[in-house]
Amino acid sequence: MNYGSLLAGILVLYLAGAFAALICPRNVRLGNTLSQSFSSMASLLGIYLSGSLLLQGPTRGLVYSHVLNVPNITITVTIDSLSAFFLLALSILTLAVSIYSRGYLSHYYHQRNVGLFNLLYNFFILTMISVMTSGNIIFFLISWEMMSLLSYFLVVFEGESRENQRAGLIYLIMTHIGTAFLVIAFMLLYQTTHSFDQSQLHLWVDSPVKNWIFIFLLVGFGTKAGVIPFHVWLPYAHPAAPSNVSALMSGIMIKTAVYGLMRFVLPMITPGYEWWGLAVLLIGTASTFLGVAYALMEHDIKRLLAYHSIENIGIIFIGLGLSFYARAAGNQTLCALSLAASLFHLLNHTVFKGALFLGAGSVHYATRTKDLEKLGGLMKKMPYTGFFILIASLAISAIPPFNGFVSEWLTYQALFANLSSHSTASQLLSIVAVAMLAMAGAMAAYCFVKLLGVAFLGLPRSRQAAEAQEVPGSMKTGMGVLVMLCLVLGVFPRPVWVMLDAVTRSLLGQSIMNGAQGGFFYIYFPLETTVSALSPLMVLLAGILLFVAVGLLVKLLGGKFGQRRYGTWDCGFDGLNARMQYSATGFTKPLRIVFRGLYRPTRELRIEEGASRYYPESTTYLVTTRSVFEEYIYAPLISAFTKLARKTRFIIQTGSIHDYLIYIFLTVVALLLYNGFNN
Amino acid sequence: MNHYLELLSILILLSSFILAAAKRIISYIWIFRLQSFLLVIMAGYLGAVNFRKEGDIDILIICMVILVVKVIYIPRLLENTFAKVAYKVEKDFFLNIPISVLICCGLVMLSYFSIFPIDDLREGVMKTYLVNSISVILIGLFFMISRKKAIGQIIGFLVIENGLFIAALLSAHSMPILVDLGIFVDVLAGVMIMGVLVFRINENFESININKLRNLRG
Repeated sequence: MNYGSLLAGILVLYLAGAFAALICPRNVRLGNTLSQSFSSMASLLGIYLSGSLLLQGPTRGLVYSHVLNVPNITITVTIDSLSAFFLLALSILTLAVSIYSRGYLSHYYHQRNVGLFNLLYNFFILTMISVMTSGNIIFFLISWEMMSLLSYFLVVFEGESRENQRAGLIYLIMTHIGTAFLVIAFMLLYQTTHSFDQSQLHLWVDSPVKNWIFIFLLVGFGTKAGVIPFHVWLPYAHPAAPSNVSALMSGIMIKTAVYGLMRFVLPMITPGYEWWGLAVLLIGTASTFLGVAYALMEHDIKRLLAYHSIENIGIIFIGLGLSFYARAAGNQTLCALSLAASLFHLLNHTVFKGALFLGAGSVHYATRTKDLEKLGGLMKKMPYTGFFILIASLAISAIPPFNGFVSEWLTYQALFANLSSHSTASQLLSIVAVAMLAMAGAMAAYCFVKLLGVAFLGLPRSRQAAEAQEVPGSMKTGMGVLVMLCLVLGVFPRPVWVMLDAVTRSLLGQSIMNGAQGGFFYIYFPLETTVSALSPLMVLLAGILLFVAVGLLVKLLGGKFGQRRYGTWDCGFDGLNARMQYSATGFTKPLRIVFRGLYRPTRELRIEEGASRYYPESTTYLVTTRSVFEEYIYAPLISAFTKLARKTRFIIQTGSIHDYLIYIFLTVVALLLYNGFNN
Repeated sequence: MNHYLELLSILILLSSFILAAAKRIISYIWIFRLQSFLLVIMAGYLGAVNFRKEGDIDILIICMVILVVKVIYIPRLLENTFAKVAYKVEKDFFLNIPISVLICCGLVMLSYFSIFPIDDLREGVMKTYLVNSISVILIGLFFMISRKKAIGQIIGFLVIENGLFIAALLSAHSMPILVDLGIFVDVLAGVMIMGVLVFRINENFESININKLRNLRG
């Protein structure tokens, strides 16, 4: 099969998708359907292209390059195994999201410009593809910047409210700060290598600038990935964006940063740079714990999911940091294993976080609210959405037999393997990371119990929730695709392992498949020892057996019990109402007490007295938590910056034309003097 | 032929000195007219030589355009503008005249210092041309700084443009005709807009002293 023409096909289909909706502005419905079908087809082609590239083994892949007249800029498209893996994750997600958008966008019909949305949406996907496949640093930067700008426009698509405008602004500022760091890093890089060609990366010279390049790359990519402490834009941008865009942004866009780190930093690592890996590991550990901790305090579904993205990016960074460290320490096996763990979790996060954001979008579509405290009882009204969110929640909480379990298990194994490393610092960090990962898993489960329990069980807390209806078929299909993958990847991870093997072999020259055994009951020994092994299918069978056994045991020992449908006893009041339920705020109270230092909660009870103090008119109970990072890092930075700007206005930008003329005059004189002295 | 050109370029430099020493707005305009006229002579001379040698009439066309635009039209436009806003006589400069002239001398020395050491210039006389024309540019810029009223800035801007034109004319025998014509259109439009702006400034601030624009700062 000619991959070049496949790639061209993908490009053409996305372009067709971008313009299809604009061609028929009268018939919005037809335009949207056309556009989304084109992008679905493009995604299918993308899955086929990247899947077959990966399954045929490690590859330098196809290279298509077009040299422009401008020096140093070539449009080079290179798909090697790493790009192909990211392309696969992207295509899986865009397939589901495009199917979903067919129904989801119907609530914009005749209110907003759906054609414009589809244009931005398809171009956004295209720029992500070009980020993942570019073979030239300048082309990479241009694609990166276009990706950031297009996603900004998608974030502010519903830009009438001040809140959304502010979210967009924060996102724009943060992403540009990140890009600025990247530009510095790439310029330093050019200074040492004199080449913008990505395929020359392994020739990087060993120079003292390397540490700076790494720091700038880490800050630049870290900002896009949203790791702590660069995460501030995530919890604002995701709720502001339409849900299908949030799914794309959280599902794959923030992962382009991981791609960048793997592409640019990994080849640079040589012995003596162990601290790079440890730094990434530390950041990952912090993000894992703090992300989920903040998620627990959120009652806006999409903000909650945004914080979970921070957590999961943290888990990906743990694997990434370990692989950086192991490469510097010369442990190739561990390097390959942890890189595979990181990539596997990345794919899994794309799948289940995509499903969750689409689910949140469905809830919003049906109820017009994202506030957990206004939902309730949706399981009866939206059984499919509820079921999908349940499965995706199980997957994100790393519960077998779903996919989150497999990749987190791999991450644990990599961390355990690192305990035998020679440096105390890395051992200590691994122990801390294991503990944090375990705690984050438990807290994530807690958080999703809250989400499901409050939103889907009990009684509806508002009229919108009571009148909710199941979402249309295309939206269900979109979510269903991803949810099915949660199960399939969790039970049959072998194809993914084979693909990851291709990636590690092409990137590191190290296979991860040495410890794979068995046919149907596939067993995987990650460390090539018999200490630990995983067979997902057996886990599933064991789970089913246990379930049946416990069920039988209960039936045998528990005696007879019948079923009776009756209202819950209400202590003699006339009827239970929604306000008697456990609220999301109440449910997370224990954690607010435990982590007082982190959340700094304040509460306020306001009672409006009525006729007697036993019958108050109204009571308001307000709980707020504060973000330590915004308050102690970003607020001082912002105020320092505005102070500087104000000073500049009074000292340099005086508003007098003569002053400006004098600036020009002095510059010209200085240049002439420079010229005179230099000759 | 070089002697005539050298003489003309020195005369143009001298006219900018006179400009720096001028006190009245109406004399600025007259001096600018004189300078432009010298420019016309220079362009006409070069154009005639060029026409005889290569049969090229580009420079002659440009010479006519300068005559119409810079000697006749723009000075008249500025005189009209000034006549409408000049009801107050104010001191128009920050630095007194002797100091201005001394600074201008310093600028000529600076450009001499900067240009003369360049070894790659074709002929020795080219250095003199460049020194003179760059001095004219610098003096124009300095003139813009040292005058308070808006018309001073416009004249300074035009003198800078004259300096650039001399530099192009003498060192490269003028730029392609399209570029030159484009620049003239730019200058013309710029001056017309500035003329209108002078009216507006006068209306709003009761003066054309551009220092008042400081009040516009947010």
